[in-house]
Amino acid sequence: MSEAVVSARGLCKRYGEGERCVEVLRGLDFEVARGEMVAVVGPSGVGKSTLLHLLGLLDRPDAGALELFGTDVAVLTVEERAAWRNRRIGFVFQFHAMLSEFSLEENVAMPLFIRGSARREALAHACGLVSAVSLGHRLGHYPDELSGGEQQRAAVARALAGEPELLLADEPTGNLDAAAAADVFCLLCEMHLSRSLTSVIVTHNEALAARCDRVVRLAGVAHVG
Amino acid sequence: MGVLGLLVGRYLIGLRRRTHVAAVSAISFGAMGLGAAALVLTLALLEGFQSTIRKQLAASGVHAELRPRSGSTLPAGEWLQRLRARHPDLEVRSVSGGSVWCITSQGAQPAELEAVDTVSRVEVNRVLAARLGVGTGFDIIVASPHLTLTPLGPLPRRRHLRIDAVTPVQPGEGRAVLTVPGAVGRTLLDGAAARCVRLRAHEPDQAWAVASRVQGDVPEGVEVVSFAELNRPLLAALALERVMIGFGVALVMIVAALNLLCNLALLAAEKRADVAVLAACGLAPAQVRRLFLLLGLGVGALGAALGTTFGIATAFVLDRSQILRLPPGVFIVSHVPFRVTPSAVAVVVGVSLVAALLASLAPARAAARRDVLEGLRYE
Repeated sequence: MSEAVVSARGLCKRYGEGERCVEVLRGLDFEVARGEMVAVVGPSGVGKSTLLHLLGLLDRPDAGALELFGTDVAVLTVEERAAWRNRRIGFVFQFHAMLSEFSLEENVAMPLFIRGSARREALAHACGLVSAVSLGHRLGHYPDELSGGEQQRAAVARALAGEPELLLADEPTGNLDAAAAADVFCLLCEMHLSRSLTSVIVTHNEALAARCDRVVRLAGVAHVG
Repeated sequence: MGVLGLLVGRYLIGLRRRTHVAAVSAISFGAMGLGAAALVLTLALLEGFQSTIRKQLAASGVHAELRPRSGSTLPAGEWLQRLRARHPDLEVRSVSGGSVWCITSQGAQPAELEAVDTVSRVEVNRVLAARLGVGTGFDIIVASPHLTLTPLGPLPRRRHLRIDAVTPVQPGEGRAVLTVPGAVGRTLLDGAAARCVRLRAHEPDQAWAVASRVQGDVPEGVEVVSFAELNRPLLAALALERVMIGFGVALVMIVAALNLLCNLALLAAEKRADVAVLAACGLAPAQVRRLFLLLGLGVGALGAALGTTFGIATAFVLDRSQILRLPPGVFIVSHVPFRVTPSAVAVVVGVSLVAALLASLAPARAAARRDVLEGLRYE
């Protein structure tokens, strides 16, 4: 088997305390090999997004070991986790999560701005990506001037702006109509292949999930407390 | 320009896209500006009045005084002549004196007699003139405690004098003073030696430097009292007044800063989805904290700049136009004076920035600590 980009052992995550404590993940083992495109499916509340947040270093597990790119992420400092999110991990969220004060190209260039890239270079790189997701005619437009599908394409472009190795998408088509959803999913597949990404996609759409290399089904755990 | 500068600039300008946040930000901005303007105008008003008082003090008062370190009279010798020769631009008044009674047909009033070598006329200050009810050209009798033997027995030494001038008093001055030529004074005071020397520069704005200039030219037994020391109570009162009123008006800045704090807290809540997305893109919590600190400082700096400019312009116009008139005879100036100093501007800008920084600390810390996932769910 090829090198594992994601390797999780016995992941546990719970929210709240006492009687209101909800255990979302219990003892989850999860592995994704380099270049693999994995779909994570399951009913609502089963912990799909939570898993993605843990993989994306946006949250910490209560127990278990998580390795990304062969490194135990527990040893990373807050700043290192932020740097990894900027350079090694790309996110696509269900809601388009565009910054309303910034134009399309600026939104796409944001990871590069955060990285400290020169504005001109960052915008040039963003322009290329915007064209790659077929939004070249929308350069300079603001998020509220884009359709839902266009915003999600832009979100994909922004996720790729930092040249990540790992792409995490949290229900990227959940807020779109069938045609736009298929369109965005095609774009994700295309980018996954053309950029040799490792991708984890959380979705409710079984048909789209079936187009991934592998489908992981999460089952719920009992509520605790 | 770094990403924080880009975000701050865009949030400050781009708030127009969120009308209610833009309105609250405009209020914060206006409050900081008005606070700065109020502080500038208040300090300009205080400085205007106080500089007038200080000028009046320098124009009418003594700039330095030479006093004996021990005893009641100055040491004899040639040092006074040498002092006069070395500082021809200074008016040097050797003063001897004592207590006398000034008698008119209305009654008698105690007064301090000052016999000055360089004076050739009889002067009463306004305090004494008011108490005696006299003015220029009036005759008075001056009675000294020194006695003269007469056929009727020992009687107080007396002189009939005509008042040549009524002199103004320094602000805060309450002494009743009769000034006479040195020779007249010696007859009344039985040839008393000089008890002090008063120095005045011809240019009033040199008042503050006179003491240091003559310090090396006086003998050891002579103490040089500077202009600041001579007027210490009044100058201290003026300084205290400035500090207390300035502090009181600076409370406006605190109110404005509290308004800014509320606005930043609202903005941080409004932007939590943005912050979450930025965090997902790699913005570290420390950068989020700096972002909101810079936002607060941006509002504070822009507000202070606008308010300070407005305050300076208003003070300039009010001073030049002399539009705020004062009742004649009540004040020493005819209009309300305004004077803006660089130090006052620096104080206002400094207070504004510090207030803005302090107001930004809590919202910035809260924004940096906020759970990223909460922001994503909010979206």
